Amino acid sequence: MTDTGSITENWLRDSRTRRPLAPVQQPGYYPGYDVMGQKAFWDAATRRVIEERLYKIPQIRFFDESELPTITAVSNRIVPQDDRTPERRIPIVPFIDDRLYRNQIDGYRFADMPSDQEAYRLGIRAIDETARAIHCMPFGDLDPLKQDFILKSIHEEKRLAAHAVWQKMSIARFWYLLVGDCVGVYYAHPWAWNEIGFGGPAYPRAYTRLEGGLPEPWEVDEQRYAWEAPSNSISDLYDTHKGTGNISEQEVTD
Amino acid sequence: MKTPLFGAFQPPHEDERILGSMPRISLKEMQHFRESEPVDYCIVGVGSAGGVLCQRLAKAGFKVVGLEAGPFWDTERDWVSDEKGSHKLYWTDLRITGGEDPLALGENNSGKGVGGGSVHWAAFAPRFHPSDFRVYTDDGVGSDWPISYEDVKPYYELLEREMPVAGPAHFPWGDPHGYPYGPHPVGEVGNVLIKGCTKLGIPVVAGGPIAILSGSRGDRPHCIYRGYCIQGCKVGAKASTLITHVPEALRYGVEIRDRSMAFRISTGRKTRVNGVLYYDDEGREHFQRAKAVIVSGYAIETPRLLLNSACPGHEAGLANASDSVGRYLMAQAGNVLLGRFSELIRMYKTPPAHSMTEHFYETDPDRGFARGFAIQTVAPLPIAFAKQMMKAKGAWGWGMRRVLMDYNHWATLGVLGEILPWPENRVQLAEEKDQFGIPVASVTFTLHDNDKKLIEFGKKTVMEVMRAAGAEEVVQESRYAHLVGAARMGSDPATSVVDRFGRTHDVSNLFICDGSTLPTQGSANPGLTIQALAARTADYLISQGEKIFSSEERDMTPPPVRRKLAVAGTFVHGIPRLWN
Repeated sequence: MTDTGSITENWLRDSRTRRPLAPVQQPGYYPGYDVMGQKAFWDAATRRVIEERLYKIPQIRFFDESELPTITAVSNRIVPQDDRTPERRIPIVPFIDDRLYRNQIDGYRFADMPSDQEAYRLGIRAIDETARAIHCMPFGDLDPLKQDFILKSIHEEKRLAAHAVWQKMSIARFWYLLVGDCVGVYYAHPWAWNEIGFGGPAYPRAYTRLEGGLPEPWEVDEQRYAWEAPSNSISDLYDTHKGTGNISEQEVTD
Repeated sequence: MKTPLFGAFQPPHEDERILGSMPRISLKEMQHFRESEPVDYCIVGVGSAGGVLCQRLAKAGFKVVGLEAGPFWDTERDWVSDEKGSHKLYWTDLRITGGEDPLALGENNSGKGVGGGSVHWAAFAPRFHPSDFRVYTDDGVGSDWPISYEDVKPYYELLEREMPVAGPAHFPWGDPHGYPYGPHPVGEVGNVLIKGCTKLGIPVVAGGPIAILSGSRGDRPHCIYRGYCIQGCKVGAKASTLITHVPEALRYGVEIRDRSMAFRISTGRKTRVNGVLYYDDEGREHFQRAKAVIVSGYAIETPRLLLNSACPGHEAGLANASDSVGRYLMAQAGNVLLGRFSELIRMYKTPPAHSMTEHFYETDPDRGFARGFAIQTVAPLPIAFAKQMMKAKGAWGWGMRRVLMDYNHWATLGVLGEILPWPENRVQLAEEKDQFGIPVASVTFTLHDNDKKLIEFGKKTVMEVMRAAGAEEVVQESRYAHLVGAARMGSDPATSVVDRFGRTHDVSNLFICDGSTLPTQGSANPGLTIQALAARTADYLISQGEKIFSSEERDMTPPPVRRKLAVAGTFVHGIPRLWN
């Protein structure tokens, strides 16, 4: 984890007071909500799968020692968790590693992409080469802001360096592969469900309050607070490169 | 430990399967046929179509073997209420996807295991409109079907009761009709659609039509609104052929061989096939002899199998004299519009599919393109939602964390738009091979002008609905839904693969019955139509009897509708009767 340097620089800030917000066990607007508190009401198969995810962290078997610092640093920026106390940070890389090691693919490969495994090896190389070309340092040793700028350049399909690598695969597809995997791991975790107020498994007990966004008796009410991303980060700015998705009101009403 | 409504869950015996929370079936008494002795029908793929075919043909007395590439599920042991843990429901073997607008495959549109795609469909079950069957005549684009709506209508009515489908008493579009089970309670995403449409004067229906039980029936309980429909319904409320048709198929003597991957259809004399070669789970090769073969592998595996079955006399692939196998592949535009509301939505509750409008379904010359689209509720769970935000907002890092903290404030609506059939959108064989050494499918997909205009209009319309409902921010992700075509039916053997009953033009005892035979797709979810066509093909095969197995004659007389072949319990008390 990138806890080095000034600690509070990595902290979120209260948007009104600008005061740093110390890391907490459970960020998000649903304080006290605990999805695992409901596990007695889940079916056995579901309980097993989710408890395994919580307690059985896969060994690293795919990434090698030269790749691990880079992919770890990358995942810490793609899904930053500096607002979480260290023991409540969700492991990301081990689950991506496990998927790649076991070749658990999504069932297709884009014609302009190599295999997922090859894409990760190439992508990690490109990210590290970019860091070395611009800052003469490995990516993993850069401060978070510099890391963010390199990742943002990939998001924007800017090939700052490592041109030979980017000729072998689509930079945009690599970005989606990487971000998709990282969020796929984070938001599969019950701690992330607590953070976002997701009800989680409900079989066989059921949901009963369907309308009006109302909480079940065991869910909690939302309590919002205003926060700003740490000053050493630029990932809180939305930027739909090439407009894959976003449509503004302007475009639509024209 | 509290006791849940459906009792404690004991792990089933090895020879048993729990199908939904209550029914159990024993596999111990399942029929076993010898491979060397030809069965009447070998059906490749026990999914939406294959499940219905197995049940109908067995009930009519035929000897049937169903080969299924995936497992015979036990829903209690194998399925979970979890996004990530449901990976195995989908066809995740390698495929190559390309073209200018490459399709995402896997969980987006491909199932594996008994029940096939009906295991993970969202269960929207609208009918096609009468106009869908004459697109070329009416609009000069796409293709006409060799059959009309009236040919399929009785089977729509039948399957709506067999599944059954819950929905409004009056569904006003296409051929207006009502549904046998009452509509479901509406969740907040449905309210968004209703609110937005109502403000704009767009008619809308709520609570269906979806093939999910709104009241219990027999040993299937009603929906519990847990929202994991596309992760497989552990409750057994959502219809899949695994729970609706396969149990009865087994009772009437079908043998289903799961984990059996067909790799070649074997040809005997020039115009006939004599069985199917397949690999079992351990990679051992088998050959099941059959008097007739039905391929029900869906729009990618069906053409892949035919192309991989090339042989002398069928060099370009089996039943491919027309060079149509693999061509005219279609996906529907499935653009998702995500709207943020200041009030809470909590879209993970209720089935993602529960309200819709087909107001824009038909061609409107003023819009500048042919055909139309539907608007439907969709409701991604957190991982799918995060991946949509990755594209729709360009979210990552703290931006991703921030927007996901607002997950409960977002509602999502989907465009379901008709993309026309184009010959260059197709399935071919790739260089790569799968774990069995079988060449994998390569899918090419490119949008054309009409498709793009339709998508733009659809996006804009749903955007307006979202705004009218009060969304303060709306973003969208371009995606696709469903897969049909690639072995289309038609009257002309020069431009189509199968005739109006699913028989290949080139091989008289080879049939195709699944989504791949659809010449056009409308903007209705294809699941109901696939099952309805399967019931119709079954009626035809039963009418033809033994003739199928030996004669080259093609009798094109429409079969009578065999209502008695519907699964037991279809016409119990409380279900509206058909045709008195």
